[in-house]
Amino acid sequence: MSSSDTHAPNPHLAHHYETIEKQDYAVRLGMWLFLGTEVLLFAGLFLGYTVYRHFYHEAFHQASRHLDLWAGLTNTVVLITSSLTVALAYNAIKQGKTKLCAILLALTILCALAFLVIKGIEYNHKFQEGALPGKWYHYAEVTAPGANLYYTVYFLTTGLHAFHVIVGMSILIWILSRVLRGHFSESYYVPVELGGLYWHLVDLVWIFLFPLLYLI
Amino acid sequence: MAHEATDTHPSKDAHHGHGVGRYFLIWALLLVGTATTVITGRMDLGAANIFIALLIASVKATLVVLFFMHMTEAPGANRLVFVVSLVFSIVLMIGVFGDLWTRNPMTLPTGASTFDAPER
Repeated sequence: MSSSDTHAPNPHLAHHYETIEKQDYAVRLGMWLFLGTEVLLFAGLFLGYTVYRHFYHEAFHQASRHLDLWAGLTNTVVLITSSLTVALAYNAIKQGKTKLCAILLALTILCALAFLVIKGIEYNHKFQEGALPGKWYHYAEVTAPGANLYYTVYFLTTGLHAFHVIVGMSILIWILSRVLRGHFSESYYVPVELGGLYWHLVDLVWIFLFPLLYLI
Repeated sequence: MAHEATDTHPSKDAHHGHGVGRYFLIWALLLVGTATTVITGRMDLGAANIFIALLIASVKATLVVLFFMHMTEAPGANRLVFVVSLVFSIVLMIGVFGDLWTRNPMTLPTGASTFDAPER
């Protein structure tokens, strides 16, 4: 069944693990632990959002109406679709379909790029309007007290999220290059799985960011 | 060491995987959730708005975690570390909400208008 049953060493097995099963178990647990810390990181930011929204709900309401809903909605659909393609890529490599996995990973990376381009256009628009954080705020359309705090929270949360998109995209590019070099098969696909998990987390964060920033 | 003993091990599906249809079904449900949250978000439902938005987001997030991230197949330890992070996020929020809801108006920052402030 697997090469770990024989005396021939499994090339993917690190020397400090007895079996590939133990290694896979530890690697997956480590990934979920890391994802847990990511949840805590974003929970802190969501909490900051909640506090300022509580104090300045009128400004938050008005400012959210000045975000580009269509850009946010398009990005939501793009990210959800990329979550589908990365899940399908994992499903494909589990069945040894290397070529299909590569195509699906490439589609995911394209979605990530599309997300960043749309986000960049949105950011550019905000820079031009002066809808900026803190003392740089000079947006004439929303003057309620606390509006600058909305944009502080907006740029912090979406900026950290966009950073995660860049990191996730880089990981997927690296995994795609390894898929193309034939490193993975139905008997070894853990890196594809973990890269996919990270990408799903990026989607998870946006699932909460979208309604909280665009739809309040 | 026996393979049969690792019942919850994700590699049990290694050689057949899931039907592709299930992934597309989850994707469709996520899109329906997105459309719903946009529609309800644009309606004026007062205080219910935020709860509906968070409810839909939580349902969408649960679908992603359970099926796209395969938590249904993950061993107990992996579920535990992730769920514990959610539990402690909620503990953090309860503590801070308790502060916000019980504040004396004099302690509010300048220009703040809280939901329950009578004058606005």
